[in-house]
Amino acid sequence: MDYTRRDFLKTTLGSSTLLSFASATPHFLVSSLMGAAARRDEHDTVLVVIQLSGGNDGLNTVVPYGDDEYGRNRPTLRLPTKELHKINSMMGFHPRMGAFARLYKQGYLSVVQGVGYPNSDRSHEGAMRIWHTADPDSPGRQTGWIGRAADSVWNPNTTNAPAIFIGPIAQPFALNAENVVVPSIRSLQDLTTSQIPGYPKDQSQRKRASELPRADKGNSWLDFLQRSTLNAYTNSQRIEAVTKASANTAEYPSFQLAATFRTIAQLIRADIGIRIFFMEFGGGGIGGFDNHANQLGNHCALLHQLSESVAAFVDDLRRDKLLDRVLLMTFSEFGRTVKENGRRGTGHGAAAPVFLAGGKLKGGLIGPRPSLTDLDNGAPKFHTDFRRVYATVLDHWLGFDSRAVLGRQFESLNVLNV
Amino acid sequence: MVLQIDKPQGHNESKKAHPAIAEKLTDPVWAWREYQTDAQRPWNLAQAGHLYRRAAFGATWDQLQQALSDGPQRTIDKLMRPQADIGAFNSAYDEYESSGTGSAEGLRAWWLRRMILTPHPLLEKMTLFWHSHFATNSSKVKNARLMRQYVQLLRSHSLNSFQSLLKGISRDPAVLIYLGAETNRKALPNENFARPLMEVFTLGSGHYTEKDVQEAAKAFTGLFVLRGRLRYIPREHDGNLKHILGQKGDFTDDDVLRIVLEQPATAWTLVRKLYCWLICETDEPNAKLIAPLAKSFAKDYDILKLVETMLRSNLFFSPAAYRRRIKCPVEFALGIVKPLEGVISTTQLAQDLAGIGQNLYYPPTVKGWTGGRHWINSATMVERHNLALALLQGSGPYGNKLNPWAVAKKHGCSTSESAAGFLLDLFLQGDLEPDIRGALLKTAVAPADASDTIPADTVRRFAHAVVTLPEFNLA
Repeated sequence: MDYTRRDFLKTTLGSSTLLSFASATPHFLVSSLMGAAARRDEHDTVLVVIQLSGGNDGLNTVVPYGDDEYGRNRPTLRLPTKELHKINSMMGFHPRMGAFARLYKQGYLSVVQGVGYPNSDRSHEGAMRIWHTADPDSPGRQTGWIGRAADSVWNPNTTNAPAIFIGPIAQPFALNAENVVVPSIRSLQDLTTSQIPGYPKDQSQRKRASELPRADKGNSWLDFLQRSTLNAYTNSQRIEAVTKASANTAEYPSFQLAATFRTIAQLIRADIGIRIFFMEFGGGGIGGFDNHANQLGNHCALLHQLSESVAAFVDDLRRDKLLDRVLLMTFSEFGRTVKENGRRGTGHGAAAPVFLAGGKLKGGLIGPRPSLTDLDNGAPKFHTDFRRVYATVLDHWLGFDSRAVLGRQFESLNVLNV
Repeated sequence: MVLQIDKPQGHNESKKAHPAIAEKLTDPVWAWREYQTDAQRPWNLAQAGHLYRRAAFGATWDQLQQALSDGPQRTIDKLMRPQADIGAFNSAYDEYESSGTGSAEGLRAWWLRRMILTPHPLLEKMTLFWHSHFATNSSKVKNARLMRQYVQLLRSHSLNSFQSLLKGISRDPAVLIYLGAETNRKALPNENFARPLMEVFTLGSGHYTEKDVQEAAKAFTGLFVLRGRLRYIPREHDGNLKHILGQKGDFTDDDVLRIVLEQPATAWTLVRKLYCWLICETDEPNAKLIAPLAKSFAKDYDILKLVETMLRSNLFFSPAAYRRRIKCPVEFALGIVKPLEGVISTTQLAQDLAGIGQNLYYPPTVKGWTGGRHWINSATMVERHNLALALLQGSGPYGNKLNPWAVAKKHGCSTSESAAGFLLDLFLQGDLEPDIRGALLKTAVAPADASDTIPADTVRRFAHAVVTLPEFNLA
């Protein structure tokens, strides 16, 4: 399905044209990329998924300060009402999430409340596996939902990677595919071809050896490998050109998380065909959001980093008029218990909010606020199955077929302006 | 041995099928007959390289030259039944593995080292094949001892009887844990082994029904994995009558294996899969070609015989097989390492191979690695390029273990130009179109105004250019 305009562009520009001119004139390349960016069709959208590992406390992220039950259940963890960034007379963002509050006001951020699934699994591994496989009924499911999405759009002519994981930890199971190889990278360097230092003339001569046409001997796989090789060089040079052209122009905070967002923004600019980016926050393993004791300070720092980094990413993309192509979604394996646990922490919960950010959102709070008294084993109940969120982004944002990924049709949410 | 450089070899012969041959490619009698060299199909460097890519992980220059003088069938004899003491080599490595760090990461590295140094590379090639066929992933098993035993099981049967291999698999704790089949109660038959047994390991979809899976699951009741060991608990076995694939009886696990092995579909599945691994994955195998091999394989399930028939065949040495597979990441990397006669850090290599899609001991699903075109996208091509660079650059994580200039000198080259011709022969057996060869060879000499004229660096850059060609990614 992506053998369309992008490949057309490549053919008309010619790989070798890009190869010969790109490094010499990055601005030419970049502006042609920007030009291309202005003529996008819906199939060039990008999804960024960020995993908050450990089980994020939704109640201290989007705080129901207007509900007395909140303060009553959280004698030490309740956040001071006056410091919250109010959304309405009931809800407000965590004090350190000023940037999220701004994005929310600007319409670049939506909050889907009460997202979960029936019979919530309270173990990190089990719950995370469910969010990754998107199949709560099959604990042995061997592929992740993004891996299946990548497999579903594969065709023999594709030479681009449809999805990618960026981060220093082992690739999360969500990206596990039956067929395609979903790359894991740590930095842009991993997607840029390096050379043994030598003579530029020789280097271009060597590239020529890969570019020269091969006689057709009835082996279409050689042609496929040649196209893949050339596409690899072209994409590599696009990344280098974009990096040079936009080095340090956008402001990002100095967190590792923000650096990852900057990398993703560069890859979106380079337009190398990646439709889904997956990243992780919280440090892999059980994850930093798992706060059974002394939650307040740690949670505060994490939410601050998240909020500031997402805002920098949104602002960066907006400046380059790319935000309309990008949708970001967060998830965590579960929320936490309403009542704090006597150690200034909270237990593993069930439903939690999912954040969406991007340029094509309807905005606002989506779905009713879960009750703090009618609970699922001490935690807020879900009312929106997480697979409805997945189906929405697959069908209406990426233009994929969610049934091929989720096994059946889930009702989509009315959150996108597309 | 005579050094043969700067002469493209086997270029025309190997690519263009002689009209008489093209016609024979679908004739099973001709296809599976032993290849005999003649004027139309000479034995040359390209054919020797092809054989070593498929039956091993690439060849050194001496191996290629020896193959040229031995001829095809004698070379295959040596690959099938090497003279070396394989038993001693493998028990030494079994020892290293069991005294190692006790992690699957350590096991990955030992296996790659074994692949590089083994006197019997075909054994490892087939072990890798079975690792993908009976795929088991360490992240679920979480027990390095069991993973080690599982790969040892694959290795010890990889060229023997498929029947014994299947039986070993059906009782292997790592496999059962991976599939979620470690508990098989009478009251709650577990289909997690019976289903992949029929769908993936033997019959293939369309050759069994849901009912067959359910009934087979009953036959496996009583088998448990407890504390990493297989246990049979008789009172948990369902001794009732079962109906499986048209047979009925109070079947046990062994009966199920016997029944699926009696089905012709099982031999077909395996012959087709091996055909893709050893001969060609670019085109669906013609049923006429598979039929005689499947029929004969079904009689004894002798893997060695099947592999031998394929490797010795006219078809194997025909254009229908030549460069008709994409190298898996392991083949890609070892195809650089083996010819350069060095041993590199396989701990690092295992990690880098995981990055390009082949994480040994961690195949993605029970169906193993799909491979073929799926190995390739522009990102994995960049990563292959950079892995080749890391291996060849003489510094960094792989150190200076691979030195193409030193290898070229050892085999009689004295200038960077002659080394370049040598490397084209070593890596691609000179089989490259003349204009591409010409373009590459222009880079074999450092420019006149160059500040350094050390051939070693020029030759490294040249070697990197060769192994990043699209052609080098074909097996």
